[in-house]
Amino acid sequence: MEHVALWIAAFLTLGIYSFLYKDNIWYKLCESIFVGISAGYWFVVLFWDNIYGKFWVGVFPPKAYNDAGELVNSAEPDYLLIVGAVLGVMMISRLIPKIGWVSRWPLAFIVGSTSGLYLINYFTSNMMRQVEATIIPLFGMNYELSAYDIIGNLVIVIGTFTGLVYFFFSKEHKGWFGRTAKIGIWTIMITFGASFGYTVMSRMSLLIGRIDFLFGDWLGLIK
Amino acid sequence: MHVGKSTSLYLPQLFFLFLFICNFLLLSLVYAQTDDPLLNSEDSSVAIPDSELVVVAPVTSLIAEDYKYDDGKQINLSWVPSIDDQLVGSKVLGYRLFRIIDDGKPELLAKLRCGANSYSDGKLKSESVYSYYLEAFSKNFIATSTRTVPISPEREWINFDRKYLFLLAFIIGGAVIFFIESARRGKKLFVRKIAGLEAVDEAIGRATEMGRPILFIPGILDMNDVQTLAGITILGRVSQQIANYDTKIRMPVSRSLVMTAARETIKAAYQTAGRPDQYSDDMVNYVTDEQFGYVAAVDGIMVREKPATVFLMGAFFAESLILAETGNSVGAIQIAGTARPAQLPFFIAACDFTLIGEELFAASAYLSGEPKQLGSLKGQDVGKGIAMAAILIGVLAETIGTAWNVEFMNDVVRWLTILFTTQ
Amino acid sequence: MSTRAKEILVIGIVLLFSIIIYLGKVFGWVEVIRFSPLVSMILIGILFLALLYILVLTLKGHLIERRAVFLFVAISVALPFFMTISQSARISPEVQQLYDNVSELPKGSKVLVSFDFDPPSAPELQPMAESFLHYCLLNDLKVIIMGLWPQGPQQANLAMDRVLKKEDIIAKKLRDGKDYVNLGFQAGNEFVIKGMGADFSSMFKSDYSGNSYHDIEIVKNVKNFSDIDFAFNLSAGYPGTQEWVQIAVDRYGLSMGAGNTAVQAPMMYTYVNAGQLKGLLGGIKGAAEFENIVDYIGKGTKYMLSQSFAHMIVIAFIIIGNVAYFKNERGKKKKH
Repeated sequence: MEHVALWIAAFLTLGIYSFLYKDNIWYKLCESIFVGISAGYWFVVLFWDNIYGKFWVGVFPPKAYNDAGELVNSAEPDYLLIVGAVLGVMMISRLIPKIGWVSRWPLAFIVGSTSGLYLINYFTSNMMRQVEATIIPLFGMNYELSAYDIIGNLVIVIGTFTGLVYFFFSKEHKGWFGRTAKIGIWTIMITFGASFGYTVMSRMSLLIGRIDFLFGDWLGLIK
Repeated sequence: MHVGKSTSLYLPQLFFLFLFICNFLLLSLVYAQTDDPLLNSEDSSVAIPDSELVVVAPVTSLIAEDYKYDDGKQINLSWVPSIDDQLVGSKVLGYRLFRIIDDGKPELLAKLRCGANSYSDGKLKSESVYSYYLEAFSKNFIATSTRTVPISPEREWINFDRKYLFLLAFIIGGAVIFFIESARRGKKLFVRKIAGLEAVDEAIGRATEMGRPILFIPGILDMNDVQTLAGITILGRVSQQIANYDTKIRMPVSRSLVMTAARETIKAAYQTAGRPDQYSDDMVNYVTDEQFGYVAAVDGIMVREKPATVFLMGAFFAESLILAETGNSVGAIQIAGTARPAQLPFFIAACDFTLIGEELFAASAYLSGEPKQLGSLKGQDVGKGIAMAAILIGVLAETIGTAWNVEFMNDVVRWLTILFTTQ
Repeated sequence: MSTRAKEILVIGIVLLFSIIIYLGKVFGWVEVIRFSPLVSMILIGILFLALLYILVLTLKGHLIERRAVFLFVAISVALPFFMTISQSARISPEVQQLYDNVSELPKGSKVLVSFDFDPPSAPELQPMAESFLHYCLLNDLKVIIMGLWPQGPQQANLAMDRVLKKEDIIAKKLRDGKDYVNLGFQAGNEFVIKGMGADFSSMFKSDYSGNSYHDIEIVKNVKNFSDIDFAFNLSAGYPGTQEWVQIAVDRYGLSMGAGNTAVQAPMMYTYVNAGQLKGLLGGIKGAAEFENIVDYIGKGTKYMLSQSFAHMIVIAFIIIGNVAYFKNERGKKKKH
């Protein structure tokens, strides 16, 4: 069975990579298999983890018995989950045009509650903590920082400030404001370049993983 | 102990002897320890070895305090560890924390390691009264601390530690509401020109002339994501143009809710243009929730149908480069926009125009002209202004204050740090 | 011969070779291929000369096909697997910081490891997971595993299976439930983290094997994050490190390090800079550096040479591409 699995995996891997040569029936077949399996997989996962795992087990908790046949550790049913289930069913009404308006209520609940949660999370972690971390002494106490650290601090402060200026939409980018924004976009582009390089590494890692599988696990040519 | 009459000598000595015997009996509780003394310290039935008594001092300054700003469920304990724990080669093996509820029997609450100096006791009831004591134990001795003063956890309605967070959120939120109301009353809110937006109409015109479809990809997240909402808003503007020019549009999506929202948007555009019969539900189709399954399908559509224009507006993850590169390879003009910084480099490299980060939301506000979106954008600018001012003032003050030891500047930095420190 | 016929012929040859080599692997005819350092150097030289040839062609105005670039990348990634040359990894400050924080933990400390990734990200994150778990188990740290992605705990089991087979770990006679536990996956994204901040048992009723949470020895005294000494998050997207930082670190004060795919890592540096993260491993390089620092030779180190080769090829083609672009621009200017 392991041999069959290896060959199927190799067939699908090479089929997807064949797209690099040109679009072909082998790629189309692998693409269709992938799309179908992924749709089926996620349906099963979402059903067992959410509908069954959270809702059904939460509302009708399974009973556990010890060796003497006595009921032990039975969790209390959480009837509040029924509210969530009702909201979920209301969401599906979107597929029926006549009663599609009903889905606006659970959607409003989701958007509102996640906005409320994210407001505090993002505001503290991504704004306040970052502003606090950007307020740094450029030259250290009594100029004790090395040139490397001073340049680093300057880059952080200037880059952050000018980046914010670039994303300020209430003023046209003209004059000194425009020049500051220009420095900002240059900083952003350099950051994107570094990020691009990191991402190239990430993509190559995936290819390396597959090559390791093909030459190692499948053909056994490498250890 | 004092030296006095024989009767007064006799009783304390007996009591001390009684305690001494009890300690030997209690040694059985610590005798059966293996590597982790905490795991085996409850066993009191093991025989006590004939070893030298390792006396340790109890913890001191054990304080129980109500945990501030909660719903009355937590008490925080702090203490100074045993003096024998603080020395090199600690004789203390650990601590046991006991709790007494409403003057009842003491119950073992937790076993703590050497060096522990605090503990949080949660899931309490605000109606009950709690007191605590700690036992520091060595291999054959237990030293018990004094009991804390009985305390009940209290419920507070407002967490005043977060007052500055509230203040900033209030200022920015207030600014958003102010600008939304201003926009509703008809005041024109200025939004600077965004590069890439002019290209939208040109790109649609190109697709019309070439007789090839437009491919619109709204990202891979659901309708609760703000980038998807911005993408759908831009779709609204694009749909108006394609309805007027009768250009074909293809929109594969990875979320069913996005499919229904997109269909409604395009249908409304065709109805407004007076061409409801030209609309078809097949313009928008659901593919799969799975990320790379969706990408594989969209790549196939790009290669087979060769769209003239590709819009990539929304939240993207690892598939961004694959989509942009494939679109580039079929010769399509590509306009992208996402607020995910990790994906922006690929769009900038592979697409003709890119809306960077917040420019996507600004474009959505600019195109729709909706007061809520415009007002939100202006309110956010207030937040950015506050951040810029804080950074500028803070860095200058910190630099001058630390380099030349100027007290006033140090105070400014201290105040800014308090303002932006979160609990 | 038509193009279609050539394509079928190539596929047939590749299939035939694959079958022969596979049968050779199964019956033991074919052994692992290792190039000597001399052969490795010769191959590097050939690759370099080929790139030089492409540069010359580009200067002459003959642009190569994109498929040639794909071929070069594939060769540059595959060849190092057969080479016997190695590459040293300089330890970056973020990796050093993570190691320092973990190495300072006393024996018996509880370490929470969250597996928030799936098989597509495994080449980058699995080596980090293995080296981290190995270090923790070797140094008597108690490991509590969980996942916010469905396949996360399965990836954890794969990592644990490999680590538990190491001789130094076998010698420790570790027990599931006492020295480590896999609490499994819980749906709910950041709401799970929020729930864990109050009470772990409200989120995880049982472990991966179905044992009740309250019967598991290692988590007996673990109520919430205040009972966890350090956390390590392996993340490939959402939910991941950002959510852990926003909720567990900033709200509940959890001390946490992270391992991220190289796509995400640049965004996490801001959290390291602000002190919210106590160390960061970024991509395969981060994995290789951590393996180096904890002396565990795994796939991170193995993949680094291929990584370096691939990067060199990319740099070479960026230069070639820019040469072609500027030559093209100059040509257009001359015409006008």
